[in-house]
Amino acid sequence: MFSKLAIRNVRRSFRDYGVYLLTLTFGVCLFYTFNSLDGQAVMVYLAQNGNPAVETILVLIDIFSVFVAAVLACLILYADRFLLRRRKRELGTYLLLGLSHGQVARVLFLETGAVGLLSLGAGLALGTLASLGLSALTLSMFQMDLSQMLALTFSPRAAGKTAVYFGLIFLLVMLFSGLQVSRSKLIDLLRGDRKNEELKPRPLGVSVLQFAAGAVCLGAAYAILLTFGMAISVAVPVLCVPMLGLGTLGTLLIFRSLPGFVMRFVQRRPGVYFKGLNLFTLRQWLSRVHTTYLAQTVVCILLLLAIGITASSVGMNSAIESAAGGQAPYDLTVYSGAPEEELVDLNQILRNRMVDPAQVFAWEYEAVIYYNDPEVTREEGWAALPLSVYNALLSHLGQPAYEGPLPYCPENWGADPAFGYLGSFLVIPDEMAGQLEPCWQIWFVDYAGDKERTEQIVLAAVDSPEAGFPEGYGYTSRLETWQDLMGSKILALFLGLYLGFTFLLAAAAVLALQQLSQGADNAGRYAVLRRLGAEEKLTVRSAGQQVALAFFLPLGLALIHSAVGMKAANDLIATAGHVDSVQSSVVTAVLLVLVYGGYFLATALACRRMARGR
Amino acid sequence: MSELLTAAGLTRVYGRGAAATRALDGVSLSLEQGEFVGVMGPSGSGKTTLLNCIATIDRPTSGSIVLDGRELTGLRGRELARFRRERLGFIFQDCNLLDTLTAFENIALSLSIVGAPAREIPGRVREMAELLGIADCLDKYPWQMSGGQQQRCAAARAMVTRPALVLADEPTGALDSKSARLLLDRLEDLNRTMGATILMVTHDAFTASCCRRVVFLRDGKLFLELRRGELDRRAFFQRLIRVVSDMGGEMADVF
Repeated sequence: MFSKLAIRNVRRSFRDYGVYLLTLTFGVCLFYTFNSLDGQAVMVYLAQNGNPAVETILVLIDIFSVFVAAVLACLILYADRFLLRRRKRELGTYLLLGLSHGQVARVLFLETGAVGLLSLGAGLALGTLASLGLSALTLSMFQMDLSQMLALTFSPRAAGKTAVYFGLIFLLVMLFSGLQVSRSKLIDLLRGDRKNEELKPRPLGVSVLQFAAGAVCLGAAYAILLTFGMAISVAVPVLCVPMLGLGTLGTLLIFRSLPGFVMRFVQRRPGVYFKGLNLFTLRQWLSRVHTTYLAQTVVCILLLLAIGITASSVGMNSAIESAAGGQAPYDLTVYSGAPEEELVDLNQILRNRMVDPAQVFAWEYEAVIYYNDPEVTREEGWAALPLSVYNALLSHLGQPAYEGPLPYCPENWGADPAFGYLGSFLVIPDEMAGQLEPCWQIWFVDYAGDKERTEQIVLAAVDSPEAGFPEGYGYTSRLETWQDLMGSKILALFLGLYLGFTFLLAAAAVLALQQLSQGADNAGRYAVLRRLGAEEKLTVRSAGQQVALAFFLPLGLALIHSAVGMKAANDLIATAGHVDSVQSSVVTAVLLVLVYGGYFLATALACRRMARGR
Repeated sequence: MSELLTAAGLTRVYGRGAAATRALDGVSLSLEQGEFVGVMGPSGSGKTTLLNCIATIDRPTSGSIVLDGRELTGLRGRELARFRRERLGFIFQDCNLLDTLTAFENIALSLSIVGAPAREIPGRVREMAELLGIADCLDKYPWQMSGGQQQRCAAARAMVTRPALVLADEPTGALDSKSARLLLDRLEDLNRTMGATILMVTHDAFTASCCRRVVFLRDGKLFLELRRGELDRRAFFQRLIRVVSDMGGEMADVF
């Protein structure tokens, strides 16, 4: 009997439960996706190659999951409190009909259980798809063809963990709603609708002053960040505390004063003020400000964190990627000390070990590098590179040949695409080589065919004492460099996305719940407007505008904050490598649009429906 | 004077079959330009249904309503909203002012909705506020005003658009007698000086005594019609009271 009532309730108040369900489902999906990372194609690949980062990532995800679960628990409790408030009358009616507090609590208990199961199921299904999407995203970022590893997988371990964590959260929610009901008085429940919001007239002039003060605070915070740079501003408490304090205070003041400021401005323009329902929309906005500015500030900061973390983790990712390219421009570089009498023949070594060079190498270049002698070259430096060698390497990388004066000592040798990764060097005319002492023999190689298999074959032949290289032997492999870097890359990307998504979800859900509750409160006002003869189109538009203001103002300010923050952060990341800010901005924007836009649409549609009064 | 409103054979049935209730049963009523007409009757007599039908909030089951030469029962959707905002003004028992707007803005909003030129709006609002004696509380929010001021503000909102017909549903229902008299005096003034046509529903004989004509409804039927003629308000009030007491127990709950 109670379970029937509970299930009917859930079905009937699906509209109210909509955002609640959406939040729960997204939460479960997020949690599952990041806890099933060990099944991700990239992680499997790294683990196969014995990369130590895999362990680190999984441990860190475990730790972060506890934090994420705490954030989601707070969010779900907040949503539950909102739902209970909406249903005060209904609960009061149950009590009036003679159900005991315990029985009402039981109905709620069962309802929460039903909603929990539903969202768990939907979330896990969505999570399975999402982890496939994440796989595709990471694979595309590695520019490696691992598509045969791309498959829909389900991780029972992650699903179990998700079920346990969310089970605990739901249990908490059940206890919480039971407590709420048992403590409430019947009269308060039945009169739940009549709660009046306190409206105090506040002179608009104060808003103008507050707005100016807010702008000054933000300006000062930005100035600190941009003047001293990210690293110093965050690390030095004398700068960090006032910067964060001023930024928060400024944001708070802006949100508190913006409606009044705009109102003051618009009131002087009758053409705008008296057009359609503008007057009504503005007043609605103004009347809400004192209940919403705090939430808007929190949402703005959450959005800033989401944008900042996601964008810098993606930015960091491309920085690391380009560093990998710079550290290993060729598939394989083998070097050995140059013997005094006869040079080593790499191809002969391979043939001796039953490998046909023509089959494994698509391109091969052999060069001798000399010790620099300042008496001959009149330049400082460690190694000397004949011009013909240098230009051959450049031309293989698709770079124009060097035609400047010789000897040429690159100022920033570390950034040199052709040779910089091996150390400091200078380029000499070919004929000068005869006067210098050979120091190294180097082979630059690009593989033919499947790179991984070829590398195994080649290294098996070359990288063993029997190959007989002289002293000073060593090699650099592009694949190995990549795999090392991949670990840190994945770490930055996954953790960034995980946290970024959590904050974004929290921000959007808080706003949606707040707007839905206000939309319901506004139903009476829309009825008055309809009686005054306002067209449905206008009232519905006004409702949409109110939701848009609530969603896009915090987003707008967060975008301004993060533009400033990203500039500082990019300068910092740029010291580690090149930053592709276009790419990181695009990825951030897509994520934002998906989650935040989804919530905005759901809320706006619901509020528009309420304005229609059906 | 020309005929403004003609309602003929209005019937409104709620429910179906055996459970059907005839809230209106063949009511015919006509209003001339510039009239101030009261509709009286006990609760359940159908007076609010009549008003709602004329207000285009409800639709009669059968019968026709013609206002200014237009048949209202056939209006739909946007046409209906347009008609409502341009030709009708409403005053309700609970004054229905928007609590987030000041008095000035509440009155101005109905002009905005009609699409009046922005430049004219402040002047027209002030003018109407003067006429209703609320010029000094235009900057206040509804909850800062007394009930009487709120109701006069609602009246100003209803009349500022110069509607063809003002519909008032128990406008004094929530007011004390002094505020009620003030409001009625103002309505009478506006009727006389501006020629506003007003149709007012009430069950209070004192409120009805300021009308030029009063019709009585009982069980959804028109039952009696009284014209004030040359009588002063006090004498008209006495006549109304007599009718009400003649109607007997049914209206006893009113006093």
